[in-house]
Amino acid sequence: MAKSKLRKTFLEPLGKNNPVFVQILGICSTLAVTNKLQNTMVMVLGVMFTTALSSWTISLLRNHIPSRIRMMVETMVIATFVIIVDIVLKAFYPEMWKQLGPYVGLIITNCIIMGRIEAFALQNKPFLSLVDGLASGLGYAYVLLAIAFFRELLGTGSLWGYQILGSWWTNWSIMIMPPGGFFVLAIFIWVIRETIMKEEKA
Amino acid sequence: MIKQATFYKKRIYPLLFMFLVTVICILITSGLFLSTQERATANELSFTRRAILDAGGLEYTPTTEGIEKTYKEKVQVEDGGSYYTAETAEGKRYILPMQGPGLWGTIAIMVGLEEDLTTFSGLAIVSQNETPGLGGRIEEPWFTQQFQGKKSPFTLVNEGTADAPNEVDAITGATRTSEYFRNLTNRASTDAKRIIRGE
Repeated sequence: MAKSKLRKTFLEPLGKNNPVFVQILGICSTLAVTNKLQNTMVMVLGVMFTTALSSWTISLLRNHIPSRIRMMVETMVIATFVIIVDIVLKAFYPEMWKQLGPYVGLIITNCIIMGRIEAFALQNKPFLSLVDGLASGLGYAYVLLAIAFFRELLGTGSLWGYQILGSWWTNWSIMIMPPGGFFVLAIFIWVIRETIMKEEKA
Repeated sequence: MIKQATFYKKRIYPLLFMFLVTVICILITSGLFLSTQERATANELSFTRRAILDAGGLEYTPTTEGIEKTYKEKVQVEDGGSYYTAETAEGKRYILPMQGPGLWGTIAIMVGLEEDLTTFSGLAIVSQNETPGLGGRIEEPWFTQQFQGKKSPFTLVNEGTADAPNEVDAITGATRTSEYFRNLTNRASTDAKRIIRGE
């Protein structure tokens, strides 16, 4: 019984309850950081770390938080974890921090984190909340990485900064600009809903 | 008695709770900040010094110690940090920190000039906020290195076609950033003459 709940908690955010293509959460960062795989990777790692640990922390405190100030407490906890990510990047990976500094701060505004705390961590035990946070982060991560893969490849002809396509390739500049994010995300959601999710319904 | 209990529960407890959470969060973050501050400042300093060395066209080993060593040996700070000089085998170099508008925010660079204050010995980006993948490509080595040995003022030509000593490649898809960057680098020579020689 307990095991099946754990399994469900872990698998749902990856598939039929995915934060990005089912709940349509976290779209702002999906559009902003997916034009290069490297940026996307740092962003998703930051989000996974923050969602997992803030869900866990809030779940630990859930019986003590007065419900009328719970949002303030949640924001405080999320902000603390994001600042930790920022400080660690700045001290130990200065090159990466130089490129991604502004994006890291954006993690605070990611609706998935607060969404999972409100919807899950406040009602569930710490370990289960940690798993839920981590799985939501993973569900977010693979969608973003898939989008970034196509945007970087089509937009610059390279992947992870390495040139893949030869000089015959004409870069689709629009792919790495904000509109490109809308196109790829929309196509992604459409494909998923038309194929995999349709089968599930039937 | 009951009234007092609800007063505590509704007013005092939330306040105390929030206060406690805030104190704990601040302790954690400021503790972490203070314990890594030295490292962060050192990184920042090393980054600026590396930009100075790159702009001056100086050879160095790309480690923190290597940058430190070459910087201490070769570079002098002049006029309280408004510019730097370096002696090289090919003559004296003047290195000038500059900044100007870009498409989205300020672009800060280090410009290295030879003794005539017109020929570039190199150039390095200190900070920029241009569109990643388009204007952001000003950070790529092919772009910054092309300024080496060129004479300002520059004119922009299509990417990959620069030939004459005053031509530089623009970035395809980032015309505005390229133009802002040209304006910034074209100011370098006059700025340098004003600051260094008082002209």
